[in-house]
Amino acid sequence: MATSGTIVMPGERIASIEEVAKTKRVILGPGLRRVDDTVVASKAGPLRHKEPNTFWVDNYQRRYVPARGDLVLGIVRSKAGDLYRVDIGAPETASISYLAFESATKKNRPDLNPGDLIYARVLNASADIEPELVCVNSNGKRGKLGVLPDGFFFKCSLNLGRVLLRENCPILAAITRQLPYEIAVGVNGRIWVKAHSLRETVALAKAILALEQAGYAETDKVCDNLGDYLEA
Amino acid sequence: MFMNSNLFEPGKSKAEKNFVQQAVKQNHRLDGRRSNECRDVQLTFGADWGTVAVTLGETKVLAQVSSDIGVPTTARANEGKLQLNVNIGGVAFLDEAQSTHDQRFLTLNSLLERTFRSSRCLDLESLCVAAEQHVWCVRVDINVLNHDGNLYDASTIATLAALMHYRRPDVTFAEDELRIYTEKEREFQPLLFLHYPVSVTYCIYKSSSQPIVDPSLLEENAADSVIVLSFNSYKELCTLNAGGSAPTNVRTIMQCARNAATRSKALVDFIRKALVLDEEQRSKGSGQVPGLVGLISEAAHKMSFHQLMKDELDKERATTEDSQMEVDEQPPEQAVVSVAQDDVKKEKPKQEKETPMDDSSWLPEESTPATVPAPKAGKTKQNRNKNKGNKKQHSKKPQNESDSEEETKPVI
Repeated sequence: MATSGTIVMPGERIASIEEVAKTKRVILGPGLRRVDDTVVASKAGPLRHKEPNTFWVDNYQRRYVPARGDLVLGIVRSKAGDLYRVDIGAPETASISYLAFESATKKNRPDLNPGDLIYARVLNASADIEPELVCVNSNGKRGKLGVLPDGFFFKCSLNLGRVLLRENCPILAAITRQLPYEIAVGVNGRIWVKAHSLRETVALAKAILALEQAGYAETDKVCDNLGDYLEA
Repeated sequence: MFMNSNLFEPGKSKAEKNFVQQAVKQNHRLDGRRSNECRDVQLTFGADWGTVAVTLGETKVLAQVSSDIGVPTTARANEGKLQLNVNIGGVAFLDEAQSTHDQRFLTLNSLLERTFRSSRCLDLESLCVAAEQHVWCVRVDINVLNHDGNLYDASTIATLAALMHYRRPDVTFAEDELRIYTEKEREFQPLLFLHYPVSVTYCIYKSSSQPIVDPSLLEENAADSVIVLSFNSYKELCTLNAGGSAPTNVRTIMQCARNAATRSKALVDFIRKALVLDEEQRSKGSGQVPGLVGLISEAAHKMSFHQLMKDELDKERATTEDSQMEVDEQPPEQAVVSVAQDDVKKEKPKQEKETPMDDSSWLPEESTPATVPAPKAGKTKQNRNKNKGNKKQHSKKPQNESDSEEETKPVI
């Protein structure tokens, strides 16, 4: 991912993409829109570019819009027939079937109660119907999905969630050097963490939240602080 | 239960609740505070009289006092009116259901009503211009701008500071003619107070006998019960708001009350100091912040509790640490009293203490105006003591620092 320094504002015409579009086909990601023959930004933020031809605007957002295949953290709201209603921070509550858990049958139902935290994948999402979640993969295995017992969970911006979920994220690796921990990151801006002790868990949560303001360059500093705190 | 409650709020999911319970059990708070440590209170005074923004951590409340001449009620023909108007529209993002919004609004509104109106903290008779004809109607608009826990304290501090800061125009009534003077003609006058109430909030958890003060939103939502105590600067109880399901005992509540009384006194002293500072700045003609954005921006000139009250804070810390140790030593089996019994106990002291409050209406009018420093306050207190006779003996109980074991037993 190339980080170009340009910040775009909504309504701004982006000539650089139009240049590229003359020679080859380009893909416009979130925050960009084609109006006739021009490319216009629809969100504010830094313009990102991925070789060879993908562009998008990395804007700061806390509101989640479900998309198929997303990994999300949800809170069970209620039981409804053979469904659970799950709050995933989207405009609408999502639903998950009793049967969408590992080795669940009509007789052997999963034991979920309102207030429980689950890590799930969005099975389908469209503007007109409520999003549907699953806690199993296509082979019927749960993998890392399912109910998250104890631990601590907090909300952050969608950007932070996405940053942490990137392949080879340097942040999570850097924190591993300080302490062992478990983490579940939802792209809906919710993060669940668990470390050995309560103190460590709190410190970890604070460190991750601090990264929201920090950016990549200060990752090491935040991790050092975390290390200092844990030793103290 | 979860259908109505809002899971968007921090502290409402089971994971968070369990985590906070455990944290409290290990005497650990999520923001690194001790159980008896409050967040910093910051006051910003606006350019107009009676405009105050209060910041308590991330909680922000704006209070604005205004007044006009109106007609008194027939029941109280020689008293002015105090109207409290709460607007929590600023935290509407937390409420997706009307029911949670209403609940939040009603609890805050009733707390403010009881703390400021029922306790008769303003000398309403001094607001009377002509009996049965013209009185001042003082209106306080409390706007909640952000909610990160402990809305109660932030609102009461904002209301009290705004009322103490406010100046009303001078007015004369002669030959059936009412004349209101502008600031140029006659100097504006501060409101007269009988006492200065301010609230302190505690959260109690089932997992721990140690209550925590000044909860954040996460802690408040995860708490089993929230206790709000309003004390005035004479350390008299004005309001007690206790609910929830945590098993508490008299000792815990008394300990809360004692600490809350000290804290309230410190808060009132802090507001006084801040007002004096503001006065100085006004006379110099600097430090005025016009407009709302100026008031709530980070760059605004803030008066911080931690800065102004450094000495008192150290003292307070010393005493509260003592009392905390007291509790730690206490045998655990004593700590658990059933909830039903407990409610009765909570009710009792409240009634005992609220009755003397009402007597203040017939007190001599020598009460201290807003800017007069503390020493005079002592004098007024002695008068009040005399007036109340043995009733006072009862209500004084929670403030006694003495070995509370014997003190509290009769109440049980």
